[in-house]
Amino acid sequence: MSNWERLVWNQRGLLLQGLAVTVEICAIAFAMAIVGGLVLCLVRLHVRPLRPAAIALIEFFRATPIFVQLMWVNYVWPELFGWPNSFFTSGWVALGLQSSGYLAETFRAGIEAVPKGHREAGYSVGMSPFQVYRRIVLPETLLTVAPSIVNQFTVIVKSSTLVSVITVPDLMLQAMKLVNIWYEPIEVLTATAAIYIGVVFLVSTAGKALADFQRRRFGLNAT
Amino acid sequence: MSEALIDALNPALFWEYRLVLLRGLAFNAYVFFAAATVALVVGLAAALLRVNRAWPFRMLGTLHVEVFRNAPDYIMVIWVHFVLPLLLGKLIGQRIEFSPFVSAVIALGFVYSGYFAETFRAGIQSIPQGHLDAGRACGMGETAILWRIVLPQVVRRMLPEAVNQFVSLFKATTIVSLIAVPDLMYQVSMVTQQEMRPLPLYTGAAVTYFVVIYVVAGSVRGLSERWRNKIYA
Repeated sequence: MSNWERLVWNQRGLLLQGLAVTVEICAIAFAMAIVGGLVLCLVRLHVRPLRPAAIALIEFFRATPIFVQLMWVNYVWPELFGWPNSFFTSGWVALGLQSSGYLAETFRAGIEAVPKGHREAGYSVGMSPFQVYRRIVLPETLLTVAPSIVNQFTVIVKSSTLVSVITVPDLMLQAMKLVNIWYEPIEVLTATAAIYIGVVFLVSTAGKALADFQRRRFGLNAT
Repeated sequence: MSEALIDALNPALFWEYRLVLLRGLAFNAYVFFAAATVALVVGLAAALLRVNRAWPFRMLGTLHVEVFRNAPDYIMVIWVHFVLPLLLGKLIGQRIEFSPFVSAVIALGFVYSGYFAETFRAGIQSIPQGHLDAGRACGMGETAILWRIVLPQVVRRMLPEAVNQFVSLFKATTIVSLIAVPDLMYQVSMVTQQEMRPLPLYTGAAVTYFVVIYVVAGSVRGLSERWRNKIYA
């Protein structure tokens, strides 16, 4: 029986379980990053008194390494705020915070790229500012920044390997467990690396195809 | 809560261990410079493969870029540290081991070479064909054209993008603490185990990295912008 069969194929249940946790934590973090990024960006653009705070938060999230942020959220926040109370929560909060900083800047660039005439056209047919945002500015922004959003999602998937350090049972942690049982890292780690590379490749290819499809549907050039 | 906040922002503990922590930060810088050198050299090689006329070379370059751009840093660091020495050892029939520093440099260097290759390629392909033809018309060889016409322009064009990637690379150097390279994060976790006070230490680490990255990246961006403007204008 080859090592590949013994150490990888026969352990597929464990590895798939880990992959499911990876997918789950990435999905939650991505949702948080989109919402957080949008809120930070809108506060920065439209809420004058809170603008410096929003800029400070965005810059802090962007300029701190994800590993440092993960440790910070995991060890400092519980003492400071009494939350998050599980490693899983710490994991997605840290991943989400980092990406919300990047997405806030992406959204801002997208919003600022919407031509002024489009907004004025909305006002001139009697839309309220809220309607102009919901029906003109945000859809246009989402289309222009779609490729960057996909890119940010792949960054989340790549960074999610680090949550294994705080013992979230993701694919990386399960792989390290297998390595520590048999001390035969070659097959397990190679397979894990291949799975991650494959997943990120699929996500970026599928995401790019989806973004291009939507952009073409609305008459924009594919990227 | 307010007590915890004061504790978090109290730099006394951080100051007490400043020498150890500074040495850690220096290690971050060593790893960064070594890995950046590897990334630039390998990235340039991969980019030249990708714009080669022969398709097998192009395929090889594309494979390199796709593998390393899609690989998470952490798994590559672990893989290079634990698997690569075994594979190389089997190949030459001898036991070898990498020190954590060497593993970190190889892994981060190769991962970021994927990104740099794409940046180089975009730069190379943005050079107008006429510049190459002009070089050939003056009787320059392909190597001379590459070094004297293509690359000087490429470097200027790719600089803003490259600065972003250097920033990412520096941020990625924090994960080398996980294979026991004694960088700042490693020292912080060691001190935390002694003092049992993660609050001020991890806050201090986060603030230190933020300040270093924010200030250095900002000034490098400013300088490179000035240099680019001076030459283009």
